[in-house]
Amino acid sequence: MTRNRPVISSVRCLAAVFVSLTVLACLNLFGCGLHEKRHESEPVELDSLGEQPIEPLPLTVDFDVAQAALGEILFAEPRLSGDSKVACTDCHHAEHGWADDQPHSRVVGRPESPVNVPTMYNVRFLYKLSWGGKYESLEAHIDALMTNPKVMASSWEIATQHLSELSSYRQLFAAVFRDGLTPSNLRQAILDYERSLVTPNAPFDRYLRGNAQAVSPEAKQGYALFKSYGCASCHQGMAIGGNVFERLGVLRNFFDDRGHFDNADLGRFNITKREQDRFVFRVPSLRNVALTAPYFHDGSAATLEDAVTTMASYQLGRELSEPDRSAVVAFLRSLTGEYRGNSL
Amino acid sequence: MNESGVLRASLAIAAAVFLALLAYSALHALDYGEEEAYSRDLRRVQAATAELNERVLKSRSALLSQYDPLVHALRDLHALHERLKRVPEFLGRSAALDMRARLRDSEAQLQQKDELVEDFKTQNSVLQNSLHYFPILANSVIDRARVTPAGATVASRIQALISAIMLFDTAADTESTSRVQSAQVDLSNAKQAAQELQLNHELELNHELELILAHSQIILERKPLTDGLVKQILAVPLPRIALALEEAYSLHYRSATDRALILRQILFGLASITIVLGLTDVILRLRRSALALELATGELRQANAALAREREKERQLGELKTRFVSMTSHEFRTPLSVIVSSTDLLENYSDRWDAERRSDHLERIRSAAGSMDRMLDDILLIGRAEAGVLRASPAQLNLDEFCRNLVESLEHSSGRSHSIRYSFSGDPQVTLDERLLSEVVGNLLSNALKYSPTGSQVDFDVDANDEQCKFAVEDRGIGIPEADIPRLFVSFFRAGNANQIKGSGLGLAVVQKALDVQNGTIEVQSRLGQGTKFVVLVPRDLGPLAASKSSSNEL
Repeated sequence: MTRNRPVISSVRCLAAVFVSLTVLACLNLFGCGLHEKRHESEPVELDSLGEQPIEPLPLTVDFDVAQAALGEILFAEPRLSGDSKVACTDCHHAEHGWADDQPHSRVVGRPESPVNVPTMYNVRFLYKLSWGGKYESLEAHIDALMTNPKVMASSWEIATQHLSELSSYRQLFAAVFRDGLTPSNLRQAILDYERSLVTPNAPFDRYLRGNAQAVSPEAKQGYALFKSYGCASCHQGMAIGGNVFERLGVLRNFFDDRGHFDNADLGRFNITKREQDRFVFRVPSLRNVALTAPYFHDGSAATLEDAVTTMASYQLGRELSEPDRSAVVAFLRSLTGEYRGNSL
Repeated sequence: MNESGVLRASLAIAAAVFLALLAYSALHALDYGEEEAYSRDLRRVQAATAELNERVLKSRSALLSQYDPLVHALRDLHALHERLKRVPEFLGRSAALDMRARLRDSEAQLQQKDELVEDFKTQNSVLQNSLHYFPILANSVIDRARVTPAGATVASRIQALISAIMLFDTAADTESTSRVQSAQVDLSNAKQAAQELQLNHELELNHELELILAHSQIILERKPLTDGLVKQILAVPLPRIALALEEAYSLHYRSATDRALILRQILFGLASITIVLGLTDVILRLRRSALALELATGELRQANAALAREREKERQLGELKTRFVSMTSHEFRTPLSVIVSSTDLLENYSDRWDAERRSDHLERIRSAAGSMDRMLDDILLIGRAEAGVLRASPAQLNLDEFCRNLVESLEHSSGRSHSIRYSFSGDPQVTLDERLLSEVVGNLLSNALKYSPTGSQVDFDVDANDEQCKFAVEDRGIGIPEADIPRLFVSFFRAGNANQIKGSGLGLAVVQKALDVQNGTIEVQSRLGQGTKFVVLVPRDLGPLAASKSSSNEL
């Protein structure tokens, strides 16, 4: 029933959401409609591609719909922060693929973020989070951000306290959770929402599933180049990255050329303190990459073209011709999926 | 009952211990589903490790084009460890501690492996790229460089580097390493020489040559590093620990099942004891109640018997009283009416009667009064005897003389209607109560005369030996019906064939009472219509031990 509803991310829609939440909670109580299931049939072409470094995202994922709907409201709720001023959506913008369009996020009352804020889409498929791979799970990540004085400067208890002052929240939680508004239920709702942020059915995924017409010939050409240039050495798997750490600047020194250097550039070294991890970052997922400019940990690449050029140069030691680069960018644009049935 | 108290207390203890152990065993019962899942997870640790190793090797050999399988294998291993930390309750606390300690060890190894795999992926990505791209790049540069004579030198140097790298990729030892290094130096020099000839600029080779050198350097550095990481990953003793974990688990499992078996046996024993104790208790209770019932029944029966005896006594007493009243009233009325009628006659006709007739009536009055007197004596004697106050007062007595006088007096009073044949033998000097003896013998003799036809003979034989005197009185009279003999000595009882003959029914009762106080006995033999014989035995010397024996128990 929420399947075809447009994205709701504003507190203004609270009343409408409340009604649907109540219905969902009732369904939940009666043990039906617990998990959202997506089933879309795709024409399967005979010329299968064979084993590929990239796999399509699953069409169906499990999460609690009512809790995720509540989490969606909470995601935009500044009362989660210690000073009731900062919401998750202040850095994660829905219109920018749940990333920030600024190289470094600027939020009132908070220091500038040291790195570019990455997308929230498909985080459930990542096994380590943050640029340095600091967090092993979504739980560890969100717990750290809640208490981080530079981010939310709060705690689940403080946020619960703030929310409990509003009767609408008490009612919402009571409708979704048996024990109503509690710190752990608050956390669970947000986690369920994070896990619901999945973008299946990208044109390239449809291509991988056998629909030869799903992507343009240029994008197919781009994919071939993506593999032959060696991009797929790191950007592979279901998330097209996100499962390996790599040094930024393998064949050329990225930071020397950039001209300045700060602590965030140390990457994984900041977490492991191992010399070999200096300038090493988690290879980011390229899913919905067209939506999440600017690029890299420092947000130094404003466009996809810039990012592709930089990567080819510093990681692979290659200069790309203009047609080749366009083809790779066309391929990258075919990685933008659908959220709640709508193309992003 | 103390015994049953102990029994019941031990029954309660046995039952309580049984229930407690039952609850304990139920709480620590083996959950087969849980056990199966746990041992499956244990086995899967080795399988998942092998899977991870296989995927690492495949990655190293470029047979795997993505790292998701490695990540998934590691995640599976971590998830397995998390699940295995929940040791089945059934194994017990110490086993759980042991298992968790081993799991911590295993997890530390897994963590190490995790980090090694992470480093491997980082190194391998770059290495694979270079291994893939280096020959393509080098060959394309060779093709381009070969077109000029100066380029041919560069091309041959590149060719030498390709050979050196190929050898190094096959067998990375010091020799192949130094060969790569010298090939790199050669190519560098050639590049330098070509640069001086402006060749590179012409062919735009400078950047490509640098890239060739860079990739060869990457291969030279990262191949040993990556291979070293693969070796380390394979060397992590996770399978060994997993095997030890499995063995430890099966040991714990066996000891837990042994414990459960022992517990079950104890439970069985306790259940048996409880049942036996319970049955014993029930049996004892039943037996006790049966015993009590029997006792109560016995008492009741005795009470009933006593009551019946009491009632019989009462009935006999009542009967006796009735008989006494009717008898006395009848027996006393007869002589009284004689006295009254003779007195009336004397009062009215004495002046007209002669002396003989007057004396006849006076004699009748005397006789009637005497009869009443005797009857009164008899009743008083019986009453005294029954009240227990009748005493024998023995004195020196010539028995022969006593008997002879008695016979004569009786012959006289009966008007010699019968002949009494008297004989005596033995020593006539005895110590007996003369009055009681005369009651006994007198009554027996007068009965013999009364109940035998006139003119018949009555035999009276007395024999006084050293110990006792024997008196035998035998008549040839009407006899006594056999059925009446048992009640012959009861007061006022009269035999059925004696109704026509006057009598009070007191004579033989008096005889009995008189004999009782003299420790005497009496026997009777009688044949109806032929005669009766009474034999009385009395101790010859009653002496000072005057019979104190009460006859009250005889009645």
